Amino acid sequence: MASADKLINTYVPEKDVFALHFLQSLSNLRTQNPLNSPDKSIDRVRKIKKAAYVSMARAAGGTSRLWSRALLRRAAKDDNKSVRFSRRKRKVTWKISSKRKRSNQRAPVVEEAAERLRNLVPGGGGMETSKLMEETAHYIKCLSMQVKVMQCLVDGLSPK
Amino acid sequence: MDLTQGFRARSGVVGPVAGLESLNFSDEFRHLVTTMPPETTGGSFTALLEMPVTQAMELLHFPDSSSSQARTVTSGDISPTTLHPFGALTFPSNSLLLDRAARFSVIATEQNGNFSGETANSLPSNPGANLDRVKAEPAETDSMVENQNQSYSSGKRKEREKKVKSSTKKNKSSVESDKLPYVHVRARRGQATDNHSLAERARREKINARMKLLQELVPGCDKIQGTALVLDEIINHVQTLQRQVEMLSMRLAAVNPRIDFNLDSILASEVSIN
Repeated sequence: MASADKLINTYVPEKDVFALHFLQSLSNLRTQNPLNSPDKSIDRVRKIKKAAYVSMARAAGGTSRLWSRALLRRAAKDDNKSVRFSRRKRKVTWKISSKRKRSNQRAPVVEEAAERLRNLVPGGGGMETSKLMEETAHYIKCLSMQVKVMQCLVDGLSPK
Repeated sequence: MDLTQGFRARSGVVGPVAGLESLNFSDEFRHLVTTMPPETTGGSFTALLEMPVTQAMELLHFPDSSSSQARTVTSGDISPTTLHPFGALTFPSNSLLLDRAARFSVIATEQNGNFSGETANSLPSNPGANLDRVKAEPAETDSMVENQNQSYSSGKRKEREKKVKSSTKKNKSSVESDKLPYVHVRARRGQATDNHSLAERARREKINARMKLLQELVPGCDKIQGTALVLDEIINHVQTLQRQVEMLSMRLAAVNPRIDFNLDSILASEVSIN
């Protein structure tokens, strides 16, 4: 049912938004440690990966999406910074999943898959299964967009 | 009347039609619609629509006359060109008028005959502008009727539908909608109808709808039969994407120190590749 996209909002901005955010974060990285070559390349890789995720979260929805919010909070916690949230329409996310583990009424196949998804998708711990699947759909779209952007960048920058 | 005072305060001008757009009609129209004489409410949509229009027309151009006496037709000599901005205005209270139209369920395209009949006391040059506006609305009225009907009665319908139809229904289809506040679930034959299982079923429908959405998103998932494999494929896809991000970030780290990091050149290179 292709019309399901209209009922569930999975809007993802164009590639340019992602590209812009990512490049900005990369240039910030560069100004932070200007070629003094931090000890190993592992740290650099880790920083770039984190910058990729943070810029993707910002480009995709800022704090209006559950996974992006959780991702930003996780990233900011490592730096001991505080992330600003707009408290306009913040729904309470209950820990329903822990309650449902006791009762056996939900389809077990779906539930175990949902558990695995919760480990993968950021912020999945406090979500109901249906909400989790919404977030997964949006997350998949954003991830694929980010991968495209990074691929283009690498291809553009690599030696001919 | 406060209506005339309101209009007089806002529009002292009749000539320049650009000022029409700045007038706020919503309060006045609501007042007009509610104070309409009861004998016109039983009539057709034209009566509903025309009365406020003609009254408003006259109030606009002749702020001195009260709304009840309105119809002395000296405003008939207004040229059609001045009416056009008025016709092009979208009333903020459209929903209210359409609401009334929905209740009487008369579609506006039937009005062509009625217009000439009822314009005995109103402007002969008016129907043109009215028809334009009214014709633009039937496309809205149908959809608005549906929405309004659904939102009005959907709250009451949940219990009634379940109790009535569950015992006698033979059809196997169940209806599920995400945007209405209440979910309509038609119970299948021979299934329990207590609240818990119905809520269960509604929830399962939701999950299935979202799973269909995910299935479209992940390439190669529509061919797979069975929810377990589909879910495995989805999880696999997420993991693949995350691994790809990590791989590309490693490659970027290797590439990075070589290039003099100029934002403009990189953006240009990206644009040329895409």
